Amino acid sequence: MESQFLLAKAKDEELAEKGECGGAVSALFKYLLDQQLVDGVLTLTRGDDVYDGIPTLVENSEDIVETCGSLHCAPTMFGDLISKHLNDIRLAVSVKPCDAMAIKELEKRHQINPDAIYKIGLNCGGTVMPITARKMIEMFYDVDPADVVAEEIDKGKFIIELADGTHKSVEIDELEEKGFGRRSNCQRCELKIPRNADLACGNWGAEPGWTFIEVVTEKGKNLVENARQNGYIEVKTPSEKAIAIREKIESVMIKLARKFQDKYLEEDYPAPENWDEYWNRCIKCYACRDVCPLCFCKECDLEKDFYADENEIAPDPLTFQGVRLSHMCFSCVNCGQCEDVCPMEIPLARIFHRMQKKYRDDTGFIAGVSEELPPLYSPEKE
Amino acid sequence: MLKVAHTICPSCSVGCGVNLIIKDQEAVGTYPYKRHPINEGKNCKKGRDSYQILNENRLRDPLLKKGGLEQVSWEDALETTVSQLKSHKNHEIGIIASGNCTNEEYETLKKFAATLGVENIGYNAKNIPAFNFETATLDDVENSDFILIIGDVLKENPLLGRRVILAKEGGAEIITADFPDKTLTGINSDEYMQIESISAFLDNINRKVLETPEQSSTVIISGLSGEEFENVLKFFQDSHAKLLPVMEECNSRGAMNILPALNENELKDLLKKVKLLYVVGDDPASYMEESLKNIEFLITQNFFINETVLMSDVVLPGSCWAEKSGSFTNTTGETQKFNQIMLPPENARDDVTILMELAEKMGLEL
Repeated sequence: MESQFLLAKAKDEELAEKGECGGAVSALFKYLLDQQLVDGVLTLTRGDDVYDGIPTLVENSEDIVETCGSLHCAPTMFGDLISKHLNDIRLAVSVKPCDAMAIKELEKRHQINPDAIYKIGLNCGGTVMPITARKMIEMFYDVDPADVVAEEIDKGKFIIELADGTHKSVEIDELEEKGFGRRSNCQRCELKIPRNADLACGNWGAEPGWTFIEVVTEKGKNLVENARQNGYIEVKTPSEKAIAIREKIESVMIKLARKFQDKYLEEDYPAPENWDEYWNRCIKCYACRDVCPLCFCKECDLEKDFYADENEIAPDPLTFQGVRLSHMCFSCVNCGQCEDVCPMEIPLARIFHRMQKKYRDDTGFIAGVSEELPPLYSPEKE
Repeated sequence: MLKVAHTICPSCSVGCGVNLIIKDQEAVGTYPYKRHPINEGKNCKKGRDSYQILNENRLRDPLLKKGGLEQVSWEDALETTVSQLKSHKNHEIGIIASGNCTNEEYETLKKFAATLGVENIGYNAKNIPAFNFETATLDDVENSDFILIIGDVLKENPLLGRRVILAKEGGAEIITADFPDKTLTGINSDEYMQIESISAFLDNINRKVLETPEQSSTVIISGLSGEEFENVLKFFQDSHAKLLPVMEECNSRGAMNILPALNENELKDLLKKVKLLYVVGDDPASYMEESLKNIEFLITQNFFINETVLMSDVVLPGSCWAEKSGSFTNTTGETQKFNQIMLPPENARDDVTILMELAEKMGLEL
């Protein structure tokens, strides 16, 4: 269907107050739970502080209010959490673009049932690793990270709010030049508005107190319409100017992402001898494989006898990372999880993202976005 | 019902954070805990598999030996334990713990023994003697200019190894000494010294490099025990370098602050002296089965079935770490609290509660 734009906010006063941008997303979740259209909502709740986002399954609509607010220092992944542990219920889930990409690939590969899931997309300019965020707040903001009560990313700045209501902000460019700021895969990410979800929601172009929603699918359209009719949200049409602002923000961010792609995947891409050094560290812990949302074979080739080598200190990169790369790089959605969890600090997402880009250039297949499966995909393992 | 909850990994002494995925009261996996300052969501294979500890070979009911081990009520098990403890003199009773209990359990055991007048108490220190000095932190390791490593920390304690890698990326010089001809830590160091013995290594090492005050140096000591460990510690203790001894178990460092550290000989000596042995978390049958023959009555408090459990007269089923609240002190001396995030299986109980109930039935006020 053709995309539709609208502005929405929660009718419930508490959700409108506590939720981000008028609480429209929270209100949609509440509607889905109240009407028993889903059994649970998977979203993030705040743990110990603003740097601690914990995936939470909400089954009771009264608890939705606890999930309100966005967390930029929570680089989570929902794709495999759903395919491995939540495939037995009807679910609504709030998704960053990378979550939506992973879910889309998993749907195509019959690991997630598309009929049993509502995907409420959240626009995303990128996430920051929690400990990196704490360090940079100490260094660049001269603030005790424990004193931060809220954070947001707006107009190219990472903004923090302190308990007394004061705000401090630093340009993200400046943070990233010094090796802080967003995760490097986020810096390279071109999908800022998750048009691969049912709805794409955010504050870009929205007036204060309202959520800008791009309705992407029929399912999303019906959800918004029914939530409105049942008194959960109110909606209005955004101005031409609002739509233009949103488009502008998106295109600026995509341009910036392409610059980062050139930087990380070409100009500063590790030389072969650097890769040798990285592979030498590998402890063959399989963390990269196991965290990859799209790597789901029950029997993994990497554990087959013919690859086993009793005497190896570090695995042969050709038969370990090479095999992983040959199996998975076409499908890489650049979520960065492999790199995040590598105990040995091997910049894995770089090589996978670089290969996916080359594959994309040759075949037109964009993992997580294209409707079809990658050419040469084998359904044997499903 | 699905829950993702924070905990501390019990697999080694580094003290990484890990999230458990709990579905319908069963641990089904782990999820990266990126907010945790020690490991930022990175875990080794053991850490990611730690949820399996909660599901394997669990003890679910109190057991009494009646020919074979038979399932009994808590009342019967505790009554038998109490009457046995009462019918033995204080010096005939021994208590040994492992390096995997919580600090709160060590404190309770210590009070229990003191109130009862039991002096034969300690934990299995895996032959690493107790020490009491400020050790290097993980940030010290990462910010070092020079690191000397004895052992294969990249392989054995990867999230400590990660700090060595980060130090190296920051320009630190890394020298590793170990026995094999090649190790993972060795191939990632600037220099690898294959050694034949610790004494020869200490004789030949140039300590100058550790005595440059303007340089921050760290010595990581892993995989050593007994005399070798003590000699290395002595050798470097008066150098300018910070030391980081790597313990084997998740709370050995906590245990040594509270209970006597017993090496294998001392444990064997203890078993010679006592007739009744109360074992918490340890598996003495796995390393001194012969000495256990001297024991007339064996009581085991543990969460899973091991060789000692199978030889016991009474078995009291305790809780696995995620089923209780408490704290572990990691190998750098940092104490980390963790909360109960799931229930123990069936009739298993919280370990401190078991000890408190025993004390109450004994008429002891802890």
